[in-house]
Amino acid sequence: MLLRPVALLALLIVTSGFWIFFSIAATGFTSDFNLFALLRFAAIQITIGFAQMVVLGIGDMSLAVGAIGGVAGMFAGFVMQSLGMPPEVAVPLALTAGILLGFGNALLIIWTRLNSFIVTLATASLITGAMLIVTHAKPFSNLPDSFTSFADGEVASVPVSPLVLVMLAVGVALFFLYRNLSLGREMLAVGANRRAARMSGLSVDRVVLLTHGLSGALAAVAGLMAIAADHTASPGLGSNWLLASFVSPAIGGTLLSGGLVSVPGTILGGVLLATMSSGLLLMNIDNFWLTVVLGVVLLVAVGLDRLTRVVGGAAT
Amino acid sequence: MESRALARFLAIAAVLVVAACGATPSGGGGKSPAAVAIVPGGPHPYFEPMRQAIVDAKADFSLSKGIFSVPTDWKQDLQNQLLTSLASQGYDGFGIFPTDGNAANGIVSQLAAKNVPVMAVGGCVQEPTKTTFCLATDTGASAYTGAKAAIAAMGNKGVLLHGTGLVTDPNTVKRIDAVKRAVAETNGAVTLITIGDIDIDAQTADTAINQALAAHKDITGIITTAYNPTVAAAKALRTLGDKRIKMVGIDDDPVVLQAVTDGFLIGTMGQNPYGQAYIAAYAINQIHMGCKKKSDAPYFIDSGTLLIGPDKIATYKDDFKTLTKSIVSGFKAKYLSC
Amino acid sequence: MMLRVRSIAPGLALGLLIIDLLGMLVLSVVTPSFLSTYNLFITSRDLSILLLVALAQMTVLALGQMNLSVGAIGGLVAIVESGLMVRYGVPVAIALVAGLMVGAVCGVINGLLVDWTKINSFVLTLGTSYVFAGINLGITHATPFYHIPGEISSFGQARVGAFPVMATVTIVLTLLLAGFLYQVTLGRQLLAVGGNQLAARLSGLPVRRSVVTAHAISGFLAAVAGTMLMAQLGQGQPTIGVSWILPSFAGPIIGGAALAGGSAPVLGTVLAMVLISLIDDGLVLVNADLFWVQFLIGALILGAVVLGRTRLCDLKALFYGARRASQREASR
Repeated sequence: MLLRPVALLALLIVTSGFWIFFSIAATGFTSDFNLFALLRFAAIQITIGFAQMVVLGIGDMSLAVGAIGGVAGMFAGFVMQSLGMPPEVAVPLALTAGILLGFGNALLIIWTRLNSFIVTLATASLITGAMLIVTHAKPFSNLPDSFTSFADGEVASVPVSPLVLVMLAVGVALFFLYRNLSLGREMLAVGANRRAARMSGLSVDRVVLLTHGLSGALAAVAGLMAIAADHTASPGLGSNWLLASFVSPAIGGTLLSGGLVSVPGTILGGVLLATMSSGLLLMNIDNFWLTVVLGVVLLVAVGLDRLTRVVGGAAT
Repeated sequence: MESRALARFLAIAAVLVVAACGATPSGGGGKSPAAVAIVPGGPHPYFEPMRQAIVDAKADFSLSKGIFSVPTDWKQDLQNQLLTSLASQGYDGFGIFPTDGNAANGIVSQLAAKNVPVMAVGGCVQEPTKTTFCLATDTGASAYTGAKAAIAAMGNKGVLLHGTGLVTDPNTVKRIDAVKRAVAETNGAVTLITIGDIDIDAQTADTAINQALAAHKDITGIITTAYNPTVAAAKALRTLGDKRIKMVGIDDDPVVLQAVTDGFLIGTMGQNPYGQAYIAAYAINQIHMGCKKKSDAPYFIDSGTLLIGPDKIATYKDDFKTLTKSIVSGFKAKYLSC
Repeated sequence: MMLRVRSIAPGLALGLLIIDLLGMLVLSVVTPSFLSTYNLFITSRDLSILLLVALAQMTVLALGQMNLSVGAIGGLVAIVESGLMVRYGVPVAIALVAGLMVGAVCGVINGLLVDWTKINSFVLTLGTSYVFAGINLGITHATPFYHIPGEISSFGQARVGAFPVMATVTIVLTLLLAGFLYQVTLGRQLLAVGGNQLAARLSGLPVRRSVVTAHAISGFLAAVAGTMLMAQLGQGQPTIGVSWILPSFAGPIIGGAALAGGSAPVLGTVLAMVLISLIDDGLVLVNADLFWVQFLIGALILGAVVLGRTRLCDLKALFYGARRASQREASR
């Protein structure tokens, strides 16, 4: 099941409303510097959200999104800095690492029949722990310019980082997967009712395996985007992606219990969050009270979104 | 049902708009002198003296604006957003404590590309970096000094417990190595036990430090090189009433200073947060007015560290102020060409 | 009665119990200081606080909902209490009652908002957690309230042998919670609502009351945990609760709770938290290499849980025949 258009429209209206409000009320919101940073930040957050969204779709969770993203980023840093390989080599290697780690999660889930929450809780520690053992927490801070400039560059002298295009390309591919491919439909069928899917002859294990592999790949993409933006592969990378990975999909209408995902919703959810935190910062609210305002605004935004849906749903 | 829901949300929205309008946005930045912002890594009592430092610096150097602005949580993303926001509001230079000493390089490069100078204060941004200077305690040297003091008080023998910060922090690695070095110099007379990754919060540190004390009854000395383990160990020694264990801590939390006064700690390694922010504001203003960093000037500038024993508690803040003034007075000639 | 037996999940609890006992045995052989009075005191005091946090999450999970604000509530309550005592000189008893009420009210707010707005509890309690944590920061500017009254901090250190006096609070609350969930009508309705909200609504169960009650209990338990941690630390620390989110979920879920709701494994949660405490304590006791700690935590959790479940399968196979057991496992 993909999200109904009226819900998306509601989220779009709320997000645009905030853009208009901040453009008027927050000095500097529309400056090139701010917009560039806002959209690039949103792009990374949304990609992290995608990595969680795909596993939520099959009714699983992955607490290891941050660990995989962090390790993939560190691995890419190692390949580029220590082995002196170009990004063209490092990027596919990092993606492969992400996929393999995702497969690892899936295999453990399938073999042990344990809840994905428990498995990925443990593997998140295992993956990050293995990285710390190998690297002794040494960062890779001499990444090639050709790689980092990709994050800082502008597209056709518009203040938009190429990373935003990467996120959009990933989004389009995922949209196509869920809309047009049988694998996408199988993923949602498994999420909606795993038992029914199994009974109807679907190879649930295959779907679980592929989905976690996909999630690993997406986490690796996010990790690569982050190290390009940070100019550094830091051993702390990914350590606070946990909530971030759930928030954009959840705001965008993806069900945490599975069976329903929304690619455009996740994108809008991520943009909404980035917009709110950037806009509120520009309004010079006392830092220590800013969190309160952010919480209230988040509740209002989600509430308005729901309300618009109710009204919109009634109208159609 | 729907109209009730509508009323509910409109009420909340109204409150929000009022709250938002109450906060007045400020205009763009002036040309000179500089508008300077000091941005810590997250909410933490260590940074509170910087609040006064930027007020004093604004008055002393007639800065056009001076602000102390704290990210709401310890996340590099939040610090990036805050810096982006302040730069968009026209601030000309920043003194930052990097939330992630490695990953802060991204935002520093972005700001450098806009010709906005950034100084690291309190903790360095990992090199190579576009950060102009790092005004901080030499964390390795400070940990080494503290460990030496603890080992000397232990009579150069026994078991030393080292409680430290998160392993992903580059400073933690330096501190671990420094304490190892101090212990190695005893040629095996002192055994080292290191527990790390416990500076997450007070709860984690409190439990882990006490468990370590329970596990190793033979501990005769403690060195802590992070805030939460220091407070936890100081409290544990007071609770146990144990003055046989010789401890050196870090920073000047009131609990720690009281423990030094009462003889539970032989001392604590003080840092100079006030001076770090004050000197950074000075340097940013000079660079903004046209000075350049000398080509042979170092990246790291030691802002001072001091073993605060019972005799220094009354005076250490003045000592740091004196040191700060002397660093500022020689700064231009030493590090800048104008 | 059916409900009761299913909720406790005896098979799973048995597996966890065996693992816990095995862990204790191994630790006491490997490091004799595990059984030292002081270590047992410190570890069980930590356990008694984190267990309340896990139960706070379990109660909401029983509904099929989540409470991401357990940590924020615990921190806010500790700050309110210590602030009242330190800054305004309010008597201890009044400050504690006020603080615990703040916790329960935070929970009621969560419950009412979830019920009114129908916003996903994950997003909603994330929003309220910002509000609660923000009030904490706004009041304290991250600086603790020092010098809370001596009777509170000595309560935090009080022990009889290895037994932390504070743990009596946890034991009483755990028993009360189990009694409420398995014996009291409202508690059983709560589990029924968690099992199937639509069916519960159709059959006339008080859905709103269940939702609000569960969140109120959750807020109250988080508040007690925050208060106890304040007593342990001897000051109102603004960071109280910041690292609770993962253990709060790990306890109930390793203990057998389903994210979909309908089960409230009190015993399983207790045993799971014992396991987590053993792992944390063990890594400190054996002085594990700094860079290996993370890895070992992951390996031990996974190993212990897999081992616990394997034994369960074996037992089931003995009782029901292997085929049926594997079918049940497969359908989750």
